[in-house]
Amino acid sequence: MSELKAGVGLSRKWDAREAGREVAETALEKLEGEKPKFFLLFSTIHYEKYGGFQELLNGVWEVLPEGTPLIGGTVAGFMNNYGCFARGATALTLFHPNMYVQIGFGKGTKRNPTKAVQNCIHSMQDKSLEREKEQHQGLLLLLVSGPLAFKIPGYGYRKFIDSDLINKSVKHAFRLSHYLLQKGLGREDEVFEAFVKRKSHCKMILGTSVDDYKGISNYLFFNKQVLRNAVVALNVEIPDAEIDVCTTHGMKKTGIKFKITKISKDGHIIHEINHRPAVSELYDLLGWSKNFLNEETILHRILYYPISVNRFGKEVPVVMPAIIKESIITPCLVNRGDASIMTVNGLDLIDAVDKGFNLLQVKKPAVCICSACLTIMQTLGYRLDTVREKVDSHLKNAPFVIFFCAGEGSYSPKRGVIYANMSYNFGVIGYQ
Amino acid sequence: MSDDPILEVLEDLLKLDDIYACMVARKNMVSVMPDTSKFNPKIMDVWDIVSVAMKNVFAVIEEYASVGLDVMEFRLKNHSVLFFVIPNTSNALVAIIPSLANKGLIEVEMENARRRIIEILEGKT
Repeated sequence: MSELKAGVGLSRKWDAREAGREVAETALEKLEGEKPKFFLLFSTIHYEKYGGFQELLNGVWEVLPEGTPLIGGTVAGFMNNYGCFARGATALTLFHPNMYVQIGFGKGTKRNPTKAVQNCIHSMQDKSLEREKEQHQGLLLLLVSGPLAFKIPGYGYRKFIDSDLINKSVKHAFRLSHYLLQKGLGREDEVFEAFVKRKSHCKMILGTSVDDYKGISNYLFFNKQVLRNAVVALNVEIPDAEIDVCTTHGMKKTGIKFKITKISKDGHIIHEINHRPAVSELYDLLGWSKNFLNEETILHRILYYPISVNRFGKEVPVVMPAIIKESIITPCLVNRGDASIMTVNGLDLIDAVDKGFNLLQVKKPAVCICSACLTIMQTLGYRLDTVREKVDSHLKNAPFVIFFCAGEGSYSPKRGVIYANMSYNFGVIGYQ
Repeated sequence: MSDDPILEVLEDLLKLDDIYACMVARKNMVSVMPDTSKFNPKIMDVWDIVSVAMKNVFAVIEEYASVGLDVMEFRLKNHSVLFFVIPNTSNALVAIIPSLANKGLIEVEMENARRRIIEILEGKT
């Protein structure tokens, strides 16, 4: 493990090509001349207007040795050893002489997540089928194209719709949008579950590509390509390395319980709670007045009261990102049955970092990659550095990148699938 | 690009879509401000009232900065005005943003700008 070298890159340049060059240069210089085994790239959405993402990649490839496996995507922001940023690009690159790396991608995640996963795994398997059968334990990072809002004619992009006039048509359009427009929810939970079914021996970290919380566009990177509506994957195996993953969130139970009694066919809309219209019942359960939520307040209020739903026998805390009249949109599949309401505040979100590192079973972390919910960034704002200081202290200055996205989770054979909104999902490589 | 490093920091901040205007200011005085032609025209209809309100906020900043007042915010019409106090001065980094902006993300960059300004003032560049 002492042969492991890691580099974290950073660029704050506005021009996409210059930023690509700089983020690659700053990451590779830490490898002290060794050829990187892979290159993980995250950038904020700003380069869409300052040259575009193909130019960002072109800049990276001016510096990166030809043939280096590269994946990445757009994120709301990131933190690394240098600071916390809502604009710019960061990269993580590793070298170890005996490291085994695979990358792959599959398209069409919103239309057919299972098929996209099949294609992704197929594209990863071309190097050594024999090795696939050996089931080495590595760290698998999955990045899935995140949610995309669709524009409602005459209303624009909305999270809260109270109009009787468009209520039914929006719900109908929501159902069809995945298949026809490849817009709507990211379906990253379905991608994740499909991956776990096929690669259950691996430890995984899930993240999604997003923009700056607007939900209008997002991109993934795969080698020299810019992708939309896709999944990209990176599998890293290092002999004798300790690898562990875990998910933590700071959510607390409120004691408010209810039953989800009617959902949409696709499992993404809650129509009724306790046999009553979902939103009215939710207001009553929380003691909120009817006009408590509107387009302006929905994000500031409802996100801090996630619901905990049951999926495969586990509690899954999910936020409610949009409301259509009396129906609640959920970012992941929900089932009918018991549910409850949780709550979280800024202090809980900061304390969740310690809980995560207490769970991780790697004595000497050498490098850390973490997907985290963009709502953590949105909530903590200028105090986000408190989280960075905690992470840095737990890792004892080892290189790390935390990227903020909209749909995250982790999987390990020991802990199972954990998909949780407003969470941190740490993946650590180290040694005993 | 300007020769004044603090102006460079402000111009950088102003490139973010949701920062309509920004400056370093103190009570009754703007210390550093980018060319107002670079401000988003959407603030023009509230500029006069926001300017008056800012003066009142600076009276509070002046009084409480020494006991740890760090950040202040007020909302006026459809805009929010953020004040990030520069320690040991009576100045603050001020930004006007739409009230529906994703404030947390903007705050992260405001904090980076504040730290950069402090470094410049301390002569660390």
